[in-house]
Amino acid sequence: MKIAVAGKGGVGKTTISGTLARHLARTGMPVIALDCDTNPMLGVSLGVGPEETDRLGTVRQGLDTGEVEHQPTTQGIVETFGTDAPDGVRLVVVSRIDNIDPG
Amino acid sequence: MRIAVVGKGGAGKSVVAGTMARLLARGGDKVLALDSDPIPGLAISLGLGPLDTPMLLDAVEKDDNGRWRLKKGIGAARAVQRYSLVGPDGVRLLQFGKTTASGLKDFMGSVNGFYQVVHRLARDDSLSGWTIVGDLPAGPRQTAFDWVPYADKLVLVVEPTWQSILTARRIARISRQRSGVEVVAFGNKLREDGDTDLIEERLGERLGGSLPFDPLVAEADAHGKALIDHAPDSPAVHAIEHLIDAISRRKVSA
Repeated sequence: MKIAVAGKGGVGKTTISGTLARHLARTGMPVIALDCDTNPMLGVSLGVGPEETDRLGTVRQGLDTGEVEHQPTTQGIVETFGTDAPDGVRLVVVSRIDNIDPG
Repeated sequence: MRIAVVGKGGAGKSVVAGTMARLLARGGDKVLALDSDPIPGLAISLGLGPLDTPMLLDAVEKDDNGRWRLKKGIGAARAVQRYSLVGPDGVRLLQFGKTTASGLKDFMGSVNGFYQVVHRLARDDSLSGWTIVGDLPAGPRQTAFDWVPYADKLVLVVEPTWQSILTARRIARISRQRSGVEVVAFGNKLREDGDTDLIEERLGERLGGSLPFDPLVAEADAHGKALIDHAPDSPAVHAIEHLIDAISRRKVSA
């Protein structure tokens, strides 16, 4: 099962996504929570903690630093760049805008 | 004064921007309101009702390399004069508009034209007397990618929630990487006594003003009306008057 949650800002996408992920994980399913927002906040609703969410590494940054080898498989990306969240949910953040565009 | 209103989704950016624009126009300013959100909402807060029209399609053409550019003779002032829509209190609105059944291709002309217009706004002498109020999409993206080169003031709308505060903190940090922009944090949907302190402590900024949770804001939106028309005497409108007083050091009233 692959679910995408969409809607206008502030309607509750993140809260619903995070809670859904935790619920599904508690039923025993392996769950990957994917945050595709460039202003990623899914960690907050998953229970990772706000300040911790603000500091999470992202796939984009992980690849940009070049310290980690590029992962050719989905599983590799999830393992290398993901973070453990409560109930065994694996959180993967795609990218985060932290700075002005150098271009 | 050239203002851009930023913050997390649902923080109240459009309501703050639209109400500010109307109040400033009533105070005698020539006001240009800008909506650079591909899901436009500022028109409602200005009292124009829902409006999806991409406004700058006729202002642009493709050059020999297939890139969008403003047509010859169309600078910022001409684009505003010819393609903006005049709303209540004489506020002029220029927006991206929304992609339609005719597809993304045409819509992108309006988006590219908009980017070029905002980059010329501050440099166009014939617009130097204008007040600009820009309503940005949620999050830090446009602040980071140079969509608000015109702004001398950034109004950071922030709710007393972690997600809203983290977003505001990020936008403030990014905006200060450019010089010449004054950041003013504005608290919204405050419900409890400690909310101001909570925001200020977590955000690391003093609030330049704040607005209590006001059900009339949602009620106005549910009716598709501008807050200032639906509830001109509401606590929210008064709080936005105070915000203008604070950032411009002058009085306006609904």
